[in-house]
Amino acid sequence: MDAANHLILLGGGLMLAAILTGALSTRIGAPLLLVFLGAGMLVGEDGPGGIQYSDYGTVYTLASLAVAVILFDGGLRTSFRTVRRSWGPAAWLATVGVVITAGITAAAAWSVFSIPPVIALLIGTVVASTDAAAVFLLLHQRGLEIRERVSATLELESGANDPMAILLTMLLVSIATGTLQAQDMGLSIPLSLIKAFVVGGALGLAGGQAISWAVNRLMLAPGLYPVLVIAGALTLFGLSHTLGGSGFLTVYVAGIVVGNQRLRAQVVIRRFHDGIAWISQILLLVMLGLLVTPHKLVPDLLPAIATALAMVFVARPAAVALCLWRSRLTLRERLFVAWVGLRGGMPIYMAIIPVLSGVPEAGLIFNVTFIVVLVSLVLQGWSISAVARLLRVEIPPAPEPQGRLDIDIPSNLDQDIVGYTITPDSPAAGLSREDLRLPGRSRLLSVLRGNVVVPEQGLDHFQTGDFVLLLTPPEQGLTLDRLFLAKDKKTRRVALADFVIPGAAPLGSVCDAYEISVADDQRQKSIGQFVSDTLGGTPGIGDSLLAGAVELVVVQTEGDRISSVGIRLEPDHGAAWETVVPRRLLSHIRRWRLRRPA
Amino acid sequence: MDITTLVSPENVIPNLKATSKKQALQELARHAAQITGLNERAVFDVLLDRERLGTTGVGNGIAIPHGKLAALPRLFGVFARLERPIDFEAIDEQPVDLIFLLLAPESAGADHLKALARVSRLLRDRSMCEKLRATSTADALYALLAASEAQAA
Repeated sequence: MDAANHLILLGGGLMLAAILTGALSTRIGAPLLLVFLGAGMLVGEDGPGGIQYSDYGTVYTLASLAVAVILFDGGLRTSFRTVRRSWGPAAWLATVGVVITAGITAAAAWSVFSIPPVIALLIGTVVASTDAAAVFLLLHQRGLEIRERVSATLELESGANDPMAILLTMLLVSIATGTLQAQDMGLSIPLSLIKAFVVGGALGLAGGQAISWAVNRLMLAPGLYPVLVIAGALTLFGLSHTLGGSGFLTVYVAGIVVGNQRLRAQVVIRRFHDGIAWISQILLLVMLGLLVTPHKLVPDLLPAIATALAMVFVARPAAVALCLWRSRLTLRERLFVAWVGLRGGMPIYMAIIPVLSGVPEAGLIFNVTFIVVLVSLVLQGWSISAVARLLRVEIPPAPEPQGRLDIDIPSNLDQDIVGYTITPDSPAAGLSREDLRLPGRSRLLSVLRGNVVVPEQGLDHFQTGDFVLLLTPPEQGLTLDRLFLAKDKKTRRVALADFVIPGAAPLGSVCDAYEISVADDQRQKSIGQFVSDTLGGTPGIGDSLLAGAVELVVVQTEGDRISSVGIRLEPDHGAAWETVVPRRLLSHIRRWRLRRPA
Repeated sequence: MDITTLVSPENVIPNLKATSKKQALQELARHAAQITGLNERAVFDVLLDRERLGTTGVGNGIAIPHGKLAALPRLFGVFARLERPIDFEAIDEQPVDLIFLLLAPESAGADHLKALARVSRLLRDRSMCEKLRATSTADALYALLAASEAQAA
């Protein structure tokens, strides 16, 4: 009885402490994750808490639950836009990248410890996947916004590589414990991998649809919707594993599907999952900290750190270099992706699998993994903002539109209700109803003036203090913002480039002004179109290319169209090196070939 | 690229009077024409052409109108501090009170871009802008611009 109460006190207290720490500093990022881990270690057997805890089985079950929730939440936050932009590089990183990282890290572990190759491979595999929770948390810390194509790649990778790493871990565990015989190896391995991906992915797609359908069709108490969603996600997780799929992939995919639909009670669901993902995060790290026995880490400390450094400085960069060989990312962006190979709770969680399965040397695997994660969080996690600035992959944050009220209405109607309070500097102030050009399918519902509804006929001019309610299709929200909100100070645009030019400006004139040479048949194009075509794919803010001696950078987009292009007079030399060298090489070759016949 | 190779003390206007963007550009074109002997109308048209492409009001109260003229022998700059801030259609929609006009010969090529980059970097420096705003004589403004060289070097 007492033990249970103490546990509740401890759990509650730890969570409270963790949340307060988070509130104290907005930039605490990696240290926050370390605080959780440290808290677990402090109450554990070597700390003042002195709790002897080594029930790996319970931890494994609870940690699976926590990881499923974190991945599902990660999916909820991943927009289709992110997926569309970066699925290519992310897919490479999540599959081949995991194998490469695992292989090189394993080689390092094998050379510093005297262990059989299978155990070394297990160590490599367990630490090979980046941690979704850590990546999401650190890439979205306040005051940091990374170029979209970089952050999208990293996020998608972190969500998608866990299934791969878990499957490989399971496989190696069966080899290490001798349950898998050599003759089975030929076909069954790739088959079970493919099955895990196909079943997991398909179940995620179908399940996500089913959850959304249920939320929008069933009439429930409002507080039950988020619970319905999480219950659905956990059911999918279990079901997928039962059917031989990857439950982790399933919940991640289901999260993406659910997160991109219009749902009843969307705001409540988001907030609930935000909170529950945090609880999972805290739970996971505290438990793992509790599980480790710090004094037993000491003998393996130095070789483990060597393994960690090999992972950070050799394995991850090699994997990134190979997987992003043909991607559109610039050298600086690739370096950033290589640096942000964050490890978190996930690898430690996977390190429990060998322990539970009775793999020899499982204790060593767990300890090494723990140290690798610690090194990664301290080294990479702590420096992420500084490195982003150093490599210039961050973009100045956009000001949040303020003064708009969104009202959720059931999703099967593809309309939003939005409200604006008219301020003295909002463009609509003083306009008459006729002069206010509402976009096509938007309707003015009502105007409130001093608590009284102004009838449509009696409304001659919009006045300061009026509250305007409109019904609008979601895609016209931005247009309405422009009509009703005071113009923001466009600080982002100022910081991105020396000069900013509308995307519609003719390419020919821009080229003449800034000494860019371009083919004659291109001159009629708009500059936005040119940048978009040259970059290929969906343009994102901060994407850039070299043209002559200047750099053209995407400053603003509307949908898939570039609406403003920035001119940077002193280009980013990382990008310059990459595009200029091959171009020079090509022109040399061309000249050489021209000269030869003569 | 030295700022002092672009402007001389006589090309610093400490209190330009203008009420609109167009008027400011006209005044600057007139000043540039007087000193270089260029056609005032030609200078103004070149500047206006560039503004049509997109504003050169780069934000934080700064504008850097620029353009190329075949008849110009060398890079030429005019720095003006406005008596009253004006609407310059700047990208941050803030009124503009510091203007650096840069004209380049048609053949300047890379030097034109270098000079432009130099000016842009100079006026991105917030503390420099504050000092310029707090200074009201041509000589003192020129001294500030010239002193930025020493720091940059």
